[in-house]
Amino acid sequence: MADHQYGARRRSVVKGALAAGVSAPALWTLLSACGTKTSSSATVKIPSPTTPVTWPMSKVNEAIAAGQKPKAGTTLRIYNYADYLSPRVLKDFEEKYGVDIRLSTFNDADEALTKVASKQLKFDLYFPSYDSLGKLIGADLLRPLTHDYLTNYDNLWSSFRDPWYDRGARYTVPYTIYSTGIGWRTDMVPDDIAGMDNPYDVFWDTTYAGKMAILDDWHTAMSMVLLRNGIHDINSTKQSDLDLIRTQLLDLRKTMHPKVTISMYTEMPAGQYGLCQMWSGDAINTPYYLPKSVSPSVMRYWFPPDGKGEVDNDLVVLLAQGENPVAAHFFINEILDNSVAAKNFGFTGYQPPLNKFTPSTLVSDGYLPQNLATAVVEEKDFKVGFPLLQLPPASDAAWHQVWQEFKAGG
Amino acid sequence: MARAEGRRQPPGSRLIWPLLAIPGTVWLALLFVAPLYVVVAILFGGTDPILREPVPVWNPLDWDFTQFTYVWDHIVGSQPFFRPALVRTVLYVTIATLLCLLIAYPVAYFTARFAGRWRGPLLAALIAPFWISYMMRMLAWVNLLQTDGLVNRTLSAGGLLDVHVNWLQGHATTVVLGLAYGYVPYMILPLYAGLDRAPTAMLEAARDLGASRWETFRRVTWPLSQTAVVVSLLVTALPMLGDYFTNDLLSGSPSTSMIGNLINNSVLTPGQTGQAGAFVLIILVVSVIPMVLYVRSTRSGADVMS
Repeated sequence: MADHQYGARRRSVVKGALAAGVSAPALWTLLSACGTKTSSSATVKIPSPTTPVTWPMSKVNEAIAAGQKPKAGTTLRIYNYADYLSPRVLKDFEEKYGVDIRLSTFNDADEALTKVASKQLKFDLYFPSYDSLGKLIGADLLRPLTHDYLTNYDNLWSSFRDPWYDRGARYTVPYTIYSTGIGWRTDMVPDDIAGMDNPYDVFWDTTYAGKMAILDDWHTAMSMVLLRNGIHDINSTKQSDLDLIRTQLLDLRKTMHPKVTISMYTEMPAGQYGLCQMWSGDAINTPYYLPKSVSPSVMRYWFPPDGKGEVDNDLVVLLAQGENPVAAHFFINEILDNSVAAKNFGFTGYQPPLNKFTPSTLVSDGYLPQNLATAVVEEKDFKVGFPLLQLPPASDAAWHQVWQEFKAGG
Repeated sequence: MARAEGRRQPPGSRLIWPLLAIPGTVWLALLFVAPLYVVVAILFGGTDPILREPVPVWNPLDWDFTQFTYVWDHIVGSQPFFRPALVRTVLYVTIATLLCLLIAYPVAYFTARFAGRWRGPLLAALIAPFWISYMMRMLAWVNLLQTDGLVNRTLSAGGLLDVHVNWLQGHATTVVLGLAYGYVPYMILPLYAGLDRAPTAMLEAARDLGASRWETFRRVTWPLSQTAVVVSLLVTALPMLGDYFTNDLLSGSPSTSMIGNLINNSVLTPGQTGQAGAFVLIILVVSVIPMVLYVRSTRSGADVMS
């Protein structure tokens, strides 16, 4: 009975996908997602720098016509991480266009995807990572962009105007770029972490047991174990790699008692711990949260000097469930404006991939102190670094299972 | 005799009580039975192939028990990684509830018996924490418990001692104290209500018959308040069983994960939402045991009264 139902559901998915004009790569993703025992996860096409994807234009959710203006008095609903948009930018936009912005926040991508998929909350704009793009498009949750509204689009780095995860930028606009590395306070961690043979080992150094934190993001935290072991395929589907992750992650939990959070940018400055896995944008933000009695010079951030670490970018997409797509387009264009982006960067600490922002100017313009210059992300980092990709469904479930075991504290 | 009384009832009066019970029954059906069935339908349901969101299956004949089996196997099987969180939950809730009782009983006793004209203001003060959201109260503790926070500064006697307790880094003690702090108002009120109703005449009689204060408490006050104690223990312990927020804010470490955290993590993880339903059922079953004890206790109390 269950198999029969399952087959029916699978067929309806295929039918729906075909009706929606889903292309071959996306269709493969859908079919594999159905999880038949015979389908191999190796056949799933997932966007990656080596296999770029051009997503089909949605026939269910059509792009809006060009030349419209936002209606004053309407509401623009935005769904984003907390502290990931400057309140000043939001206020300025509201005053400029007479639109009321409602900002809702989430803690991690899984939580966000769960709520976005419910379609009940009518969000206009959502800020995901590209590893969930295939799911969002596969489930027809996105509305294609109308580029006529995006007059500031050319402010982006050239390599980001036609990204591998969305050729033609049909659905996405890059929002921020960041690396994932190690953050620490020199007044709490005497070791020179940057000078260690393998800096990732510090997360297993019992000297810092009970005084450290790792990111509450399953893929980011787990891929750090692979990088520690010199494995650069941080999207591995090999069982042996997953076993390695499991062993070392459980060992870390038992011996180090890490805090698992995404609030490093406030908690480390507050002195809750002196060592953590960290996103570069959060590292840039830490000086603003330090008590006045502590000098910003104590903050450090390490990312592999050869660039062989995790680098990613977040996106902004238009959700089909939103009711204000015109204002949403105007907002996207607004945050691509150099001065608005600068204002936003000043608050969030997360660097926009715009030509205006170069490593030298970021320090000289006072966006970050010299001791955190390692947190600046450059365009070339994306040629060497490793992005977190969407995993094939079976691997995704297996990775999540390990993360679940880790977080259960068993 | 009962039959004779029954005959004297006016026509239609037999329908009054069932009619009065209808709103409560509908309320219970809408807000408990129906949601519980949704939970069960999700637990034994399927998963959306693309987003891995839960797909409820309403027909019990089509139920798939995979998610429940997965959770059960990881509680009692060879890789019981859920079990420590369950044991921890029972331990934390037991200690925190007993702490609440230790704190709440004397406060409620004093308010009921000795507060006099201060009873009103004192009761208002006891209810005051309800006016502030639980989250805000916990966030206040996050500030107080920082390494350079007021608690450590106080313990260090103004800097004379070197105190660097990292309260917020996965300490079971912090979580238990947080639970006790957060839920103690829930215990004070039912205890107060029970103790306030204790007949003063019986207490005075005990004293008149030569019982000491301790003997009066042990042989009269305590037995009379037992029903209130059971109620307050239940009112406090049951919500604690599903609490995840206290641990998230005051610890954030997997080492102190409770069953509420398992539920929260499962709900927010695509493909694992059904497992949250399994944990909910476990809590429900565990909760039924004290509820049965409570019903038995109130019944025996009623027998004594009659």
